[in-house]
Formats: sequence, structure tokens, C-alpha cells
Amino acid sequence: MIEQKKEKTIAPPVDFSTAREMSRYLTEPEAMYVGAPGKHGYLRLGFELDKSGKSILRDLDRRHPLIVQQELYFDEGMPEMPCVYILSSGGPNVDGDRYRQDFTVRKDAFAHIATGAATKLAEMRYNYSGLIQNIVLEENAYLEFLPEPVIPCRHTRFISDTRLCVDKTATVVYAEIFMGGRKYYKDGELFEYDILSVCCHGERPDGEQLFREKFIIDPKIEHPRNLGVMGNFDIFANVIVMTPQESAEKIYDKTPVFIDRKNNLAAGITKLPGNAGVLYKVLGIETGPVKKLVREFAGIVRQTVKNKPLPPDFPWR
Amino acid sequence: MQGFSNMKSVMRLLQFTDSTFPVGAFSFSNGLETASFEGIVDDASTLESFARAQAHQAAFSDGVAAILTHRAFLKSDYSQCIDLDKYLIMFKMNAEARMMITRMGKKLAELGVKLFDNPMIESWLKDIKENKTPGTYPIAQGMVFAAAGIDEKSLFCSHQYGIINMVLSAALRCVKVSHYDTQVILEKLSNEVETLYSEASQMTKEDMNAFYPELDILASLHEKGNMRMFMN
Repeated sequence: MIEQKKEKTIAPPVDFSTAREMSRYLTEPEAMYVGAPGKHGYLRLGFELDKSGKSILRDLDRRHPLIVQQELYFDEGMPEMPCVYILSSGGPNVDGDRYRQDFTVRKDAFAHIATGAATKLAEMRYNYSGLIQNIVLEENAYLEFLPEPVIPCRHTRFISDTRLCVDKTATVVYAEIFMGGRKYYKDGELFEYDILSVCCHGERPDGEQLFREKFIIDPKIEHPRNLGVMGNFDIFANVIVMTPQESAEKIYDKTPVFIDRKNNLAAGITKLPGNAGVLYKVLGIETGPVKKLVREFAGIVRQTVKNKPLPPDFPWR
Repeated sequence: MQGFSNMKSVMRLLQFTDSTFPVGAFSFSNGLETASFEGIVDDASTLESFARAQAHQAAFSDGVAAILTHRAFLKSDYSQCIDLDKYLIMFKMNAEARMMITRMGKKLAELGVKLFDNPMIESWLKDIKENKTPGTYPIAQGMVFAAAGIDEKSLFCSHQYGIINMVLSAALRCVKVSHYDTQVILEKLSNEVETLYSEASQMTKEDMNAFYPELDILASLHEKGNMRMFMN
């Protein structure tokens, strides 16, 4: 059995000092300072094929509060798929938290990453919570990243920057689901956060930049309820698929787009700039139907690229 | 002399902003055709909200790119103009929106070459034809307006007017509204342009952002559907 690499590195910095939209939220928290132990999470996951051709989690390093123990092979549609759930021992992301996640999938390897529960973003009074992600896929690699939804609270401030560096033969499914808030908490809490700033950009290993999507949701500037933003919907999902053009065309053709007033669901797909792949968006009122659509879409991608089905999610998720 | 030069730039501003200026703005509805079909826009009030969303979406992406290009052009920084052109197309997630801004951009570049004897616009048109740069409309606006001696604020007004007027003109063909309704909406939205400019004028290209998923889904429905009164 190949031993897992457990090289400890210093958790890389999480620097958002150039983000203009966060400049209002730079006060040092009165509780634990920014970057204090337990407030600077780091996770490094590296998947590769072992000598027998099995895809394994070869490289793992982590700093609390992020926890990953080991890969499991529970996917009935693709039993050879290493699946990893990211857990956080800290509960919600709190004021002044910084996170960094680096995932690499080496040549021909494949993996499925999710989170064990929804990512709760706590109320913040001084600073913000930030996340930097680097996701690298080598030739013919395949990664599904399907985390549980993000739930912002009242006065949450959150910023993320995700770099997808993907070989032109590889495929990544990168999904994010954002709830409007703690909808059923007390009298209901929707769009009461201060700011969500989310940026995701794609590039090739040679540095060629392909696309850059950045959204800043600041309800004081443009309320999500406005027509054209989220209208009557409460939940928003964004799924970026970087994949070779031939697969992108097939996925695009197979994916239904609709606005279903009766069931309060809407979905759309378009082609990413730079022939990078496709972008799928879902709007809904309840989490379940949105998650189901995102998973069905990920199933279309898996079927197209790997010719394997993606089974429905576990009933307890 | 000052008065004359100002009058000349006002005349040019009116010329470039006029809906008959031949860049093909009339071919596009910016998703309104689908929004009308889906019943999301069906009267003056919803049309106002839709036009506002389009104007705001454009302000912090196309508007920022146009302003930054205008500044780069005045410094004769051609490579910065190209850089902004490539950056903006990377930011346009919607395929039909990319088609729109590159078609209109190339037409404006061609007009710019005919109207002004300017080597930077000539080089840019050449680079567009040789597929060295995408040739987006906001970059064309920034360059041509700077070449015409039109200031940055006027450029931003023209950019906003163009977006709002594109939606309102299309509305007269696919939404039950009158000419009076659309003029009232235009007046209301015009009052918001100054606030948008004060924000957009401070932004760098990295600050460009847009969050309009409902518009994105409408655009996708148009892209995959067979409604074709408009090209988007």
C-alpha cells in the first residue's frame, strides 16, 4: 500500500487587501485576531493514480478547523471514484476567518469532493471571512466539486477567489449554491447579509486566461429581490464546467433550460468564453429542488465525459 | 473657440448616441424578448425594473471597461486598450452577449476609421480583422469617444443611454407599453446615472462585477430557444 504524503507546509497567506469591496470591513476583531490559530484553515488535497491505476488521495495536508480524514469509495455509479468530504470543526465561518484550499488532480486521476454539511457564514461585526481556492487538473483528469450550500447570516461578509487551472483535456465540475439566508430562522432572514463577493476564473496550465466571473452581492447597493437579479427566488446555484469543446457541446445540448413558475425553479446554460466549457445557473425557492437539479446536471457531465451515471444523493443529505 | 470645440463634441456625442448610428443596436433586445414571452416583463413598471437591471449590470462591467479604455487611449497606451478588450470578453459569460458586443464593436471601429484619421483605431480594426483581439463595443466606445474629444462622463452617459434605449426601443415592439411610458422610464433611469458613474469611475478592471442570474437565465432561454425577432 502506498503511504499518504503528509508533508506539512506553512499555510499560505489569504490576502484580499486589493479587494475594494471589502475595504470597509478591515477592523481587527475584538475576539481572536485575523489569522489566529484555528482561524486560518488550510487544506491541500492531491489525487493521483497509483501503480495499479487506482485513483487515490496521495497528498493531504490540513490545518484546523478544516478536516479531511481519508478518501472513501462509496459512489455506486463509479465505485473506483475516491470521494472526500471536507468537514470544519469550527462550526460556521466567523469574523476574521481565512481559508485556503488547494486541490490537485494529476494526469488521468479522478475524484469527487463535497462538504459534510452546509457552510454557515456567521454574523460579523468587525472584519470578514475569506477563502482562496486553487484547483489544478492535469491531462485527462476529472474532478467533481459539489459542496453543500453556503448559508449567509445577517451581517455576513464573505469573499472568495477560486482559480481553476485546467488542462484542455481535463474536466472539472465546480458547483456553488448560495442561500439567501437563514430563511426559517425566527421570522425569516433573507438577504440581510452585508456582502458576498465571489470570483471564479479559469485558465490553462500555460497561463492562458479563459474567463473570469465575479459577482458582488451587496443588498444595500442592488437588492437581490430586484427583477433581473434574483426576482422572486431565494436560492442561487452556479456551476462551472471546464471541459473539452466536444463534451461541452454535448452537455449544452442535453441540458434543459426553463422557467417553471409552478414549481418556482429556473435553470439556464451558456457557453463559457475561450471555449472553456459551459456555465449552468439555477434559481429556486427551496434547497432540495435546487440541489437535485445541480446533481442531475453533474450527472449529465459525468455521463458525457466518463460514460458513468451519478447516483442520486444520499437521502439524509 | 472653446465654445465651438465644445459644440463640436456635443454634436459628435449626439451622433454616436443616436439610435440610427449604424452599429446595429436595433437588432438586440438584451433578453427582453424572452422576458416578455415569459411574462416577467408585461407593463411599464416591470419594464422599468428590467431596464434598470440591464443598465446597472452594464455600468459595472462595460461601463468600467469603456472608461478605462478612454483613459488609456488619451495616454496613447494601445497595449492597455487591447488588454481591456481581452479582459472584457473573458468577463462576458453569456454567448449571445459576446456576439452582440463584438459585432457592434467591429462596426464602431470601422466607423471610427472612416470618421477620424487615428492610427490607434486603425491598428485596432486591423487587429480585430486578424483575430488578434476580440473587438468589443465598450472598448470601441472608449477609443472613438476619446478620439472625438468627448470627455469621460459624456462617454459614460452615452453608454448608459445606449443600453437603456436599446431595451426601451425593443419594448415598443414586444411589450404593451406606449412611447410615453418609455420616455418616463428613460427620465427616471437618467437620474441614476450620476450615482453609477461615481462608483464605476473608481473601479479597476479587477473590480468589474455583475450579479444578475435572472437575466442570465433569460438570456440562456433565448440562446437555446427559437424566438428570433431580436438577436439576443
